Formats: sequence, structure tokens, C-alpha cells
Amino acid sequence: MSDRPTIYFNEVNERQGSFLRRTFLLGGAALAGLGVLGARLAHLQLIDQRRYASAAVANRFNDRIQVAPRGRITDRSGVMIAGNRPSFSVSVVRDVTQDLDATLDLIARLLPDTAERRRRIIREVNAAPRFVPVPVKTDLSWEEFARVSLFVNELPGVLATMDEVRFYPFGGSFAHVVGYVAKVNERDVETVREEGEEPPAVFYHPGFRIGRIGIERSLDRDLRGTPGYQRVEVDAEGRVRGEDSDGSRTATPGEEVVLTLDADAQNRALEVFGEDSGAAVAMDCRTGDILCMASAPAFDPNLFVSGVPSAVYAAWRDYERNPLLDKAVGGAYAPGSTFKPVTGMAAMQQGADPNRVIVCNGAFYLGRRFGCTGRHGPQDMKNAIKNSCNVYFYTLATEIGPDAIAAVARRMGFGHEYDIGVGSQNVGLVPDREWRRRNPVRGDPNWYPGESPSYGIGQGAVAVNALQLAVYVSRIANARKVVMPRLVKSVGGVERPLQPFEDLGYDFEKMRILQEGMEMVTDAGGTGFRNSQLGLGTMRLAGKTGTAQVINYGARGRGRGGDWASRDHNLFIAYGPIDDPRYAVSIIVQHGGSFGGTVAAPKAREIMRTLILKDPELLARINAPVQPEAPETSQ
Amino acid sequence: MTASAISRPGERDRLPVKISQIDWRLAGLIALIGGAGAMMLYSVAGESWAPWAANHLIRFSAVFLVMLGLALVDVRWWYAAAYPLYAVGLLLLIAVELVGETRMGATRWLDLGFTSLQPSEIMKLGIVLALARWYHGASAQEAKWHWKLIIPALMIAIPVVLVAHQPDLGTSLLILFTGVAIMFAAGLSWRIVLTGVAGILVIAPMMYFFVLHDYQRARVDVLINPEADPSGAGYHIAQAKIAIGSGGLLGRGYGLGSQSQLNFLPEKQTDFIFPTLAEEFGFLGAFLLLAIYGGVIAISLRIASLSHNHFGRLAAAGATATFALYVLINGAMVMGLAPVVGVPMPLLSYGGTVMLTVMIGFGLIQSVRVHRYLELPKSRGVI
Repeated sequence: MSDRPTIYFNEVNERQGSFLRRTFLLGGAALAGLGVLGARLAHLQLIDQRRYASAAVANRFNDRIQVAPRGRITDRSGVMIAGNRPSFSVSVVRDVTQDLDATLDLIARLLPDTAERRRRIIREVNAAPRFVPVPVKTDLSWEEFARVSLFVNELPGVLATMDEVRFYPFGGSFAHVVGYVAKVNERDVETVREEGEEPPAVFYHPGFRIGRIGIERSLDRDLRGTPGYQRVEVDAEGRVRGEDSDGSRTATPGEEVVLTLDADAQNRALEVFGEDSGAAVAMDCRTGDILCMASAPAFDPNLFVSGVPSAVYAAWRDYERNPLLDKAVGGAYAPGSTFKPVTGMAAMQQGADPNRVIVCNGAFYLGRRFGCTGRHGPQDMKNAIKNSCNVYFYTLATEIGPDAIAAVARRMGFGHEYDIGVGSQNVGLVPDREWRRRNPVRGDPNWYPGESPSYGIGQGAVAVNALQLAVYVSRIANARKVVMPRLVKSVGGVERPLQPFEDLGYDFEKMRILQEGMEMVTDAGGTGFRNSQLGLGTMRLAGKTGTAQVINYGARGRGRGGDWASRDHNLFIAYGPIDDPRYAVSIIVQHGGSFGGTVAAPKAREIMRTLILKDPELLARINAPVQPEAPETSQ
Repeated sequence: MTASAISRPGERDRLPVKISQIDWRLAGLIALIGGAGAMMLYSVAGESWAPWAANHLIRFSAVFLVMLGLALVDVRWWYAAAYPLYAVGLLLLIAVELVGETRMGATRWLDLGFTSLQPSEIMKLGIVLALARWYHGASAQEAKWHWKLIIPALMIAIPVVLVAHQPDLGTSLLILFTGVAIMFAAGLSWRIVLTGVAGILVIAPMMYFFVLHDYQRARVDVLINPEADPSGAGYHIAQAKIAIGSGGLLGRGYGLGSQSQLNFLPEKQTDFIFPTLAEEFGFLGAFLLLAIYGGVIAISLRIASLSHNHFGRLAAAGATATFALYVLINGAMVMGLAPVVGVPMPLLSYGGTVMLTVMIGFGLIQSVRVHRYLELPKSRGVI
């Protein structure tokens, strides 16, 4: 190699010169890169500082919602119908458990029954918001709770807590009228959205329950209370590091609701129904207070609080006596003979004389034969009510037509929905010519006289619910006022104001005709005599029996036997005492079969007895020494 | 007296003279960063020396002494060690491929019995020294454009591919960019450079679709649209940005950064230590730190440019490039400008391996400065 010095140096210089230029560029690039980082830093820290600062606060503080204790619901004398009870529960927090499967395995070892509900638990845990504990099992026994508490520190994300859960001490007695609470579902959220509001955050809390039916639903906002917030400082794992008491708010418990119901009467109603299906409504016929509103068979609302097992729900749903239906307002039935006083009043309003005598030969003919329950002979209005003579009311109904009957029926309380705080009311039907025009039969919008006789005895298209029947009998008993039913006595200690009732607008003498007829029903020889005796001294009930035909009678014999679903409905309405009417009651026994007052009347009597024996004034009368001049006592 | 005395033959080899030739400004800035790291680690542990700050300080002191020791090692020793180190690094990378230990889905470690080793760290230094040595022996023309360039290209490509296959995208890119930086500094033709840049612009999208692993692709997706998945892949970036942004101008105060103190910031002691500093010391603190890093880079490149031998120049420039890339990639990553690739902030982050690698690099740079007047023949045995 011949190394010529000049070339050697040039070569070295070239390499060095190129290196210096290139290194200068590299250094410039590195510093430019740092400059970009600095600019980015300035952008984040100086321009967007506010935004990120609030994001840091949102990270740091976690407003933990505390569900407010739900307001109690009591009967008129303060007996608790719906309250809260403590419950030990085990919950899982999704974002703290590293491995949900492993955690559930461990829990299942302590509480074996959670294994069966595992899929459901996983679904609920995954659906819950971050850091919100999801109950895995509630209502632990003390031993189970102790067992879990022992290991809870070794199970990340598992909490053992004591919560409050809704509790219905009477089980099914008030299931329909008071309703129940359940977990918030999609539909609840949608309902709130449809009202143009955002669902409150507490909806997503697993401990929160929303009122589903009855009073729990209609007064949900009052009962719910205001949730509290515990503002806590949390770390990324959701562990609480401290509490910010300034940002916290304690929960305001829900309002206490007092109902007009009487727990004893309500329980008695369910008791006397036994396995029968139907409804009982009792009212104070002076104030309109609903004292009893029961639907049988009932279901246990406590099961809804934590979720009804699907097998139980299916059993309720598929049972032909339909425990889930509120038959007091949600079912409409033909009133049958209990409707006859309406026809009587309608006729009197049209100028008919109640003393007019119509002879019953066992049947009425108008195009076809309309049968009677017997051959009653000559009848005036009182006797026709007493004997439940169909021919008498066939005749009146045919003479006055449907519109006159409908007017009185509505005035007496039928065909209306009552704003008592219980939803899903079936208003039934009060037919008239206008209704026929809107609902033509095979294109024919005319009301034919041949339809009127059935209407007169409460058959045909007319349909009523038990509450309407109770309102109706209250108005008959009151005789002067349009008694309106009331269910909610007070909310949060504030009495619901009593609206003064309108005048009924019927002559008292005419009302007395109806009352006297009904007094005769329960007297010797009347259709309800045997089963409506109170056995409380001289105190007596007035009433009216009713049998509503369900199917066209064929060979199966007057709807009294045969399978349950084809038997007649059995009804009874009553009020008492007759000399100073105070309580009114209506009973519908679905497919009760048996003619007259044999199935429904005893039930009315028992409820009425309970109410009378709880009434201090009436009790004083019963206990008062017997007046010597009373003719009944003189031998 | 010094100037004349120092130019006396043999005088420069005396230990006290050598020590006096160490760049103490550079050493000071490095110590400042290491100290800042210890301070931040003390803060994120909740004002506690355990578990990170004390370790960090002890390790840093140790590797600082290592750096000073390496500063005194003659550049000719570095020159001699270049190829053997590269060869050892390459063999170990292949060994990892064959018998490596898998942790968290990546095979990066070799179990040596008493400790585990990441051969890719050795390669970071090996690539710098090996390329510097190769270019030392190459002419200006060969460095510019010559068929022989296939040799340095392969020297870069083989470890890059091996490391990328582990998979460790961060380190792989670091090796690639370091190698490319050295090739560029050595005088690669502008035409090649520009063609390369154009090529990357074409190939990068194809890489995205055909080469990247799913988790790597997710990181790129998150970079483009970080709000798409704030609790999943975007969580790191989103939380880091919140930490930095909430610091404001003056910061939230030492030990008061809620993002890191409450663990919202993931990897707060390693890759995401810089957001913690930015949160607690604000723009002023974070910008000052960037300025210190800038100072370290500038001084190091100045040292490279002052060397009288080509090997020293390129080795110092290469070591600086590695360091600068660490800083830029980590900075861009935590501020949401680059995908999350798992590159720590050098000397600030907790972690011994990277600290050791970086400080050996500074030992090399200091050695280049101490021996800057040494002339090395172009191609001959030097020792």
C-alpha cells in the first residue's frame, strides 16, 4: 500500500468533515425532538390544564351513592304493612377482584348454593358500574355471615355487609294493593326517559329497589327518599383512601305512607277466601276510606325484592286462579243480581212507582224466553230485590231502555276509574246506545229491545270490578252523597285532604226503597238470610246476592257444578249496620258456583264482623245493656 | 503550565491527568437526572425509600462509579472489544431464541442461574461499538455508497430482527435507529437517506397490517384514537395525559400528585415516571428536566466531534443516539405522541438494566473525551 500523505489527510478530512456536519444535524434533530416534547408539554400543561385537572379530580373522588331507607307503609292504625329489615349480604366488586371466576369459586366453597346461580351472578357483576358492589347472596344466616367475614380479607373485592331490604310482614295479604319493589329494569329506565327525565344515578345501584305495582309504584317518589352521597378518595383499585365530608350528603329516608286499610280486615279477607279466587273490598260509607282491598289467591311480594325464582314465577303465572292479577280492580265481572237496585233506581227516576206489582210466572218473553230463578208471583220493587226476581227487572229494563240504566249505573259508581293510587284498573263496561253505535254487532249499530232484559239483571255486556261494587254499595248505604274511595290517608305525616262529596241527587225515599229491599234480602226469607247473620246482638247487615253467568247454560246444569272455569261467579254486596250504615263491602268469588249468597255472603259477613268489632262506637252499642222495651227480647 | 505539561509524551496516560480530563459538567448533569429519579421514586412510593428510591440511589451510585471507571479505559480497548462484544451479544440473542425464558408473553431473558440477563441490552452497546469499528476502517467513499455497506446493514438487521421476534418492539427500534444514526453520521449518501425515508413511509402501513402483533397494533390504534378505549389499551396514555395536564405551570406539589399517588398511573415507577414528575412539578419542572436531557445530548455530541479518531467519534455519537432515542421515545410515548412501546426514561425510571446500559454508554463517551487526542491507524491491530 502506498500511502500518499496528501491523499491520506484529504481522506481523513473528508470523513471528519462529513461526520461533523452529520453530527450537527443529528444533534439538531435531537434538540428539535426535545423541542416538540416541550411544546407538547406546554400544550398539555398550560393550555389544556383545566380539562386534565378536572379529569384528575374525577379520577380521585368517587361519589358513592347510599340508598335512602325506603319509607314505611302502615295501615290506618300504624300497623306496619311494608318496612325494612336488616339483611347480611355478600357482594363482589368487579374492578377489585382480579379474577372473578376464582373469587366465585372461593365464595362457592363458603356458600355452596351460590354455585347454582353462578351464571346469573356473573351477568349481574359484569353489568354493574365500576366499583359498585353486586350482591352475590343476600339474607345470610349468622353462621354463613361469620364464615364469610372470617375470610373476607383474603378475598379481594368481596364485601360482607349489612343492608336494609324491603319486608312485607303480612306476606300476600297486601300483595296487590300495596304492591312490591324490585330491581330496576330496562323498562323502568325507559319509562323515566319517556317522561323527559334522565334516570337518577341511584337506579344503577344494586341495592336500590323501585316500586312495581300498587302503592309502592304510585307513591314511589315519596317512598324512595333522597339518596346520600359519600364522597371518598379512591385509588385506581377502588380502595377507599379517605372521605371528603364536605362533598358528602347523608341520605334522606323516604316518607312514611299511612293507608286507610285495616290490617285485621285485610288479613281476615284473605283468610276467609282460603283457596277461593276473587276479591273483597270494604269501605267506610261515610268517608270513602277503603278498609280492605284484597285479591285472592295472593303471592308473596317478599320474593320480588331479591328476584323471584323462575320456577315460582311460572307456577304463579300458569295457575288458572291467576294470583298475579289484582282482581279487586284489575278484573271486571258481570255484576249479576247485585245490579238490580240500579235498574230499580233507573225505573223510579223514569217515573215508575216502586209499589207497582208485576206478576212473576217464572219467565219473561221478548222474542225469546228469559227465565227467572223461580215463580215469585206478584212482586213490588222491595220484594223483587228481596227475592232477586228476574222477571220484575226484565220488565222494568225493557220499559226504560239501556240509556236510563247506564245513567244511574254511572252515578252509582260503575264505569269509572278511581284515583286511589292503584294502577291497572279495569273499568269494566256500562253499555248504552252510544256504546252500541261505536261497537256494532255484525255491522248493526242499533240497540234492540231484546238486549235490555239481560242488562236489567246485570248480565250481558255490563262488567264491573270489586272496587266499583264497593263504591256502589257505599253510595246506596250513604243514600245522600257521591262517596268517593280513598286509599292513602297521609304521606310523610301530611294528611291527604278529604274532598267534600257531591250530592247523589236521588230522593231519599227512593234510596230507602233500595235499602229496604236489601234489608229484606238478609232477613228471614231473603236470598242472603242464612249467611249474612252477624251474630252481634241486634246488629244486622243489608245486602244483595248475585250470580253471574259465565257460559251459556247447556247440559252442564246451571253453572253450579262442572269444572271450575265454567262455574258461575258468585257475588255479594252488603252494608251495615242497617240502622246507621257505616261499612260497605263487596265480594266477588270467581267461579264460586252455587246460587245466591252461599259462597260470597259468609265472606262479606266475616269482614264486616271484623270491622264492626274494631269500631269503638259500634262495640259500645253491642255491649250496651239490652233495652227492655225492645220488642224482639220480650217473650 | 497545564497546556505544555499535558502535551508531554506519556503525560496523558497518567491517572490524575486522565481523571482531570473527564467531563465533569456532563457527569454533573447525569447525576442531577439520577437524583431527580430517586426523588420521584421516593414520592410515588408514598414518601418512602422503599421499595424503589433507595435501590435506585444505590444502583445509580454504583453505575456512576462504573462510568468513571470506564472513562479511564483506553479507547483502544473499546476498539478491541467491539467485535467480540457484538459477537457475544449476537450469540446470546440466538440463545434466547432457542432456550430463552418467557415472562409475560415475551422471551427476552436468559437464565444464568444466579441472575437473568437480557442479551438485547448487550446488543445496544455492541451495535454502537461494532459499527464504529467497521466505519473506522472504511473510507469516506465506502461509507457514502459502496457494496460493502451490506456489512453494516446486516450488522444492524440481524439483531433487530432477533429482538423484534422476542417480541420487544421498543428495544428493536432502539437498535435499528441507533444503527441508522451511526450510518448517517458516518456519511451515508443523502440519496440513500432520502430513499430510505420514502421507503419507510410506504412500508410502515404495511408493517402495521402484516407484521405487528395484535397488542402492538392496538397500541397504534390507541395513539390515533385514544378515547376509543379509555379503560383498555388507551388507559395508559389517557391517565398519563391527565397526570401531565393536571400539573399545570407549577405542579401540584411534591408528593401531592393524585394520579400517581392513587395508582391511576400505571407503571408509574418505570415507563411513566416522567408524567409523575410533570404532575408534581408542573411545566417548569418537566421543561427543566427536558433541558437537562438536551444539555446531556449536546455535550455528548460535542465530545464526539472533538475526538481525533473516527472510532471514538462514531462510538460517542452512537451512544448519544441511543440515549437521545430513549428520551425522545419515552417522552413521546407518555405524552400521547407515540405508541406505548415500553421504553423507560433513562436514569429517571426505576430499573437497573437500562441504567447500566446507559451509564456504560456514558463511560464510553467519557472515555472518548479523555482519549480524544489519540490517533488510531485506520486498519491495523491497535494493541
